[in-house]
Amino acid sequence: MPKFEKMAYASSDEMIFGTAKNPVKYGRDFTVGGGYVFPELVPHPRPGTEATKKTLVKEYEKMVTDVLDRCVAIGIPGIQIELEHVYQMTRNPDWGGEIAAETKRLQEEYYRKFGLKSAIRATIADYRKPDEEDIRNSVALENMLKTFETSAAGGADNLSIESVGGKEISDYTIVRQDIRGTLFGIGVLGSRDMEFMWKKVVEIANKYGATPGGDTNCAQANVAMFMAGGYQDRSVPHTFAALTRAIAAARTLVAYEQGAKGPTKDCGYEDVIIKAITGNPISMEGKTCACAHSDLLGNLVAACCDLWSNEAVEYHDMFGGTTVAVFTEILGYDVALMNTAIEMGHAKILKELMVQSDKYRDTHGFILCPENAYEIGKAIVSNNTSYYARARAAAIKAGELMLGDSNLQMSAFEKESLQSAMRTLESLPDKEEDFISECADIYKKLIPGFTLANYGL
Amino acid sequence: MATVANYANIFVRYDLISSGEAKGAKVSSKDAALQKVLQCVLEGDSDNIEAAVNEALASKDPMTVINEGLIKGMNEVSRLWDEGVYYLPQAIVASDAMLKGLEICEKKLGKSLEKKGTVITHTAEGDIHDLGQKIVNALLRANGFEVVDLGKDVPVDEVVAAVKKYNPVMLTGTALMTTTMTAFERISNRLTKDGYATPFVCGGGAVSLEYVTGYNLGIYGKDASQAPGMASDAVNGLSWSQLREKWNS
Repeated sequence: MPKFEKMAYASSDEMIFGTAKNPVKYGRDFTVGGGYVFPELVPHPRPGTEATKKTLVKEYEKMVTDVLDRCVAIGIPGIQIELEHVYQMTRNPDWGGEIAAETKRLQEEYYRKFGLKSAIRATIADYRKPDEEDIRNSVALENMLKTFETSAAGGADNLSIESVGGKEISDYTIVRQDIRGTLFGIGVLGSRDMEFMWKKVVEIANKYGATPGGDTNCAQANVAMFMAGGYQDRSVPHTFAALTRAIAAARTLVAYEQGAKGPTKDCGYEDVIIKAITGNPISMEGKTCACAHSDLLGNLVAACCDLWSNEAVEYHDMFGGTTVAVFTEILGYDVALMNTAIEMGHAKILKELMVQSDKYRDTHGFILCPENAYEIGKAIVSNNTSYYARARAAAIKAGELMLGDSNLQMSAFEKESLQSAMRTLESLPDKEEDFISECADIYKKLIPGFTLANYGL
Repeated sequence: MATVANYANIFVRYDLISSGEAKGAKVSSKDAALQKVLQCVLEGDSDNIEAAVNEALASKDPMTVINEGLIKGMNEVSRLWDEGVYYLPQAIVASDAMLKGLEICEKKLGKSLEKKGTVITHTAEGDIHDLGQKIVNALLRANGFEVVDLGKDVPVDEVVAAVKKYNPVMLTGTALMTTTMTAFERISNRLTKDGYATPFVCGGGAVSLEYVTGYNLGIYGKDASQAPGMASDAVNGLSWSQLREKWNS
């Protein structure tokens, strides 16, 4: 059940990069949200190296070394490295554990030699199949939980995941521009699966003295955002994707209600809303993740970040070194600028510059600029009678904000898509049980394998 | 705090150029019943297509309803999508409605329409991200192809066995991750070794042209919307290397 009833901040003006109400300290003298921003570098192995444990561990050893070398080459004070699991690292729990241990060994070496502050996030791959198996009792779940344990035992400081509950519904509904089903898949089923999953993650983290980090709606809201794409794409309306993001915030919040502490997962674009509600530090990605995917809010999304990430970069050579080293440098200078602004008392100005760069570039940046994100957060905590009620309220608020600011331009098609979704949202039942009953009847017929039992219903 | 007076030097909204023109459907039918069928497809109205088709079938033979209502409507949807008037969701819900209507007509006919050809689709072993594959399935079906959907996280052995069983005109593979797409090359090697020359269209997420064109049979699929055109070319006899030349050069 929802727990957050009020906002962590009195207003969005208080929210700023580098500082969170509840800083997190772990790793090697590494504090997130304690006054300064640090980079979070996410290396991705080359195809083929996943063939054996030996080749994959070696690949990570090389990538991590390149990252740490670049840090000490250009003076980066500290860094978090994310081990974002490829399938094989979670499918084989000892692989994930050994790679975490090797990363820790290297980070300790650089901390000893140079005093380089550092930490490790392990993000376990959620490869459960909601439309094919009992996701509360499957081999995949068993392996995932084992891998959380091996990773924590190996040295991961932060345990995170990109959970997929409700994806069987949202995959069907996002490409059909069906806001009711998307609200059901993310806001209700996703939230319920998060509650189930995060109880277990927090338990494991506590057992090993690791920090339960965060979750992201990558499997759903990012799907909508990536499909919406750039200005010339015609896959999903941008206004629809923005509504999906607001719904995702209500869903991602569940991790923190179950005990996650942050820093949140970098690809959770909804995390600025999470910070407004929880006060937990957040990891964000924008222009620096163009190596992995494009977005339309490359500067704005840094406005309240505590870690600044590249999402994922595959390991290759570039003129300036390997990709992981190059992106470490790019991230390092980005955060150096933010930290300079903090030191010189200009952080609010830099924040405003970031926001104004992208606030009216697209609907996603518009709803995630701090002042609008804060309003969506307020809608969530003011409607906390059920997961459904708060997710619906978040979407309606996001829609009202988009329709209410004349500076946000949209095509006739985009506007009609938004107005149509708003009519649907406003016509939905007030009570969660009525909504679930209505959706169960509809989507059981449309989506083979969909079962309510996977969500404790 | 200063405000921005002119965003034009910060970003340009290229999406708004010409976006104001409402360009509707250009097809219609003089027959009121067929017009209703056509309209249901154009609007992706799966709730009312059944009644519309049944009404049309009361006075028309099934092939007329199929050709003058369902297929005519779907062709117009394809045009609107190609021209950027419709988005993907409009194409998908139109295909849902069209296929629902087709099923009713086929029942009345007492047989299924002959399909243009069989295509096997799958998502790579270790990969559960099958949304792209689902879009490919919908677009192929709406364009008259038989789709054998192997699902997600499909072992290499199963894909190879399915190709041997169905002998499709085309095989597709979807993967989000570079570390799962390596299964495509293993499938290609197995099929080539066993003497199969089935065009193997691979796409999704991190899959690249460079990777896919590095092994036999591989044709890079940049976008799901290309799948029906590629399958039509395969039916028309283009080999995998000719398909690669046409779509990847």
